[in-house]
Amino acid sequence: MKTNWFLGGILFGFSVLVLLGCTPKPSKQAELGDPLLGLNREQLARFAEGKKVFEREFTPEDGLGPLFNSNACAECHESPVVGGVGDEVEIHASRFVAPDVCDPLFQEGGPVIQQNATPLLQGHGIQKEQIPPSATSQAQRSTPPVFGFGLVDAIPDQAILSYEDPNDKNHDGISGRANRSLDGRLGRFGRKAFVATLFDFNAGAFPAEQGVTTPLSPVEETINGQPVPPDTDPAGDPEISQKEIDQVNDFVRFLAPPPRKFVQEHPEKEQVEQGEKVFKQVHCAACHVPQMKTGPSDIAALDRKPVFLYSDLLLHDMGPDLADICLGLAAPSEFRTELLMGLRFREQFLHDGRAKTVRGAIEQHGGEATKSREAFKALSEKNKEALLKFLGTI
Amino acid sequence: MKFQSIAILVCLTASVVLTTAAQSEEIEQLKTDLIGHTMGGRDKCWKFQSASQIRELTIKNKTENEKNLVYSIHLKLQDSRIPWKYDAEAQVVCEKVNAQRKIRSLGLISLVRSE
Repeated sequence: MKTNWFLGGILFGFSVLVLLGCTPKPSKQAELGDPLLGLNREQLARFAEGKKVFEREFTPEDGLGPLFNSNACAECHESPVVGGVGDEVEIHASRFVAPDVCDPLFQEGGPVIQQNATPLLQGHGIQKEQIPPSATSQAQRSTPPVFGFGLVDAIPDQAILSYEDPNDKNHDGISGRANRSLDGRLGRFGRKAFVATLFDFNAGAFPAEQGVTTPLSPVEETINGQPVPPDTDPAGDPEISQKEIDQVNDFVRFLAPPPRKFVQEHPEKEQVEQGEKVFKQVHCAACHVPQMKTGPSDIAALDRKPVFLYSDLLLHDMGPDLADICLGLAAPSEFRTELLMGLRFREQFLHDGRAKTVRGAIEQHGGEATKSREAFKALSEKNKEALLKFLGTI
Repeated sequence: MKFQSIAILVCLTASVVLTTAAQSEEIEQLKTDLIGHTMGGRDKCWKFQSASQIRELTIKNKTENEKNLVYSIHLKLQDSRIPWKYDAEAQVVCEKVNAQRKIRSLGLISLVRSE
């Protein structure tokens, strides 16, 4: 009898030890700035080559300008590592005629208004591009991080559209709707979700931000609609090759998402878990959708993978206090839900960096987010701290 | 004399008709070839998804050598999902491969919203 109890106790203790050892551990994650896990050798090589192009500093002699915002992708996307944020804020402008007519002012140099000029252009008395005379508003845009954007790019359109509710049929006060690019494709990139694909965004960033012409955009951007003076552009067009565009696209596409802090390993686990509950209770998750899934891809690292983006990638009315420019179908007060993926690595918040803390950003939510903002304000300090602690794990 | 004038007129008319027909065919072929290609980038970007987006295509200039055909074209564009029309200028570089041609690059020269 005593032997049976003893043996039973040993077996029980052994089982507990085995179960503890078998507790699923969080899967391995790539470090910030590293490539996606699961890339093959060739893809890793493309990532490495693309990073060189991303970091390349252009000069006027090899294509920079004559109007530009930065001389390299990594000049802005640099903190805390390449692919991250920057302290630069750029200027955009467009023309809006209520109720829904938006002109991006391409013919007047819009919507990106370049803030720097090369010495040759300065010699013509031009220091920067001016706000177009037809613009009804201008906007400031902070630099977003691009970690995990390949995964975002690989989310099927239908997954995003499934969250649309433009007429608020479910009466929750949230009416997300899609923006579309000029050619009708579903947009997802940019603060107004105006750009359809990661490739489009990366290819267009060279002329828009660095004044570097590409095979897809072989002519210099105008200076408020006027062609650049011929003696200010010494480099032949296009100033970057299709191969380099493809390489930089591969770098961004293969950048891993920011590593998440797993709750079960967190030293303040209970507070973080409470914060996650609060995130849902105050309906942050109605727009900041925690997770989507990529579709089938011939890149294994992008094939049917979870994406913890914390965004529905749709436009929402954020109220008049945050309103700035229109773009595509987006009215001035409409913004794409910001991706909270990598939030803890950001240094400034909201589309123009006006909020210096996460709490400050929450407190400036308006429009469709007013209810959630008020619900946050009504929380106990303990629950506010819990929510912020949870957001600090993303 | 009268017969000669008539003959010249007929030849000229036939020449114009044939040239126009050939150019129409070339334009239709270009429209088909453009599908799947993208020009520009970011905010100023157009991916040709169907011929119906191309309301009008005009060949402004064409140069040709042994290996390549380069077109300068004017386009009137509109997608049915977007309320606005756009005027675009583009450069299409085609390479000749086995008596056929294939677009090697498509560059957006300018893009403005039509009034």
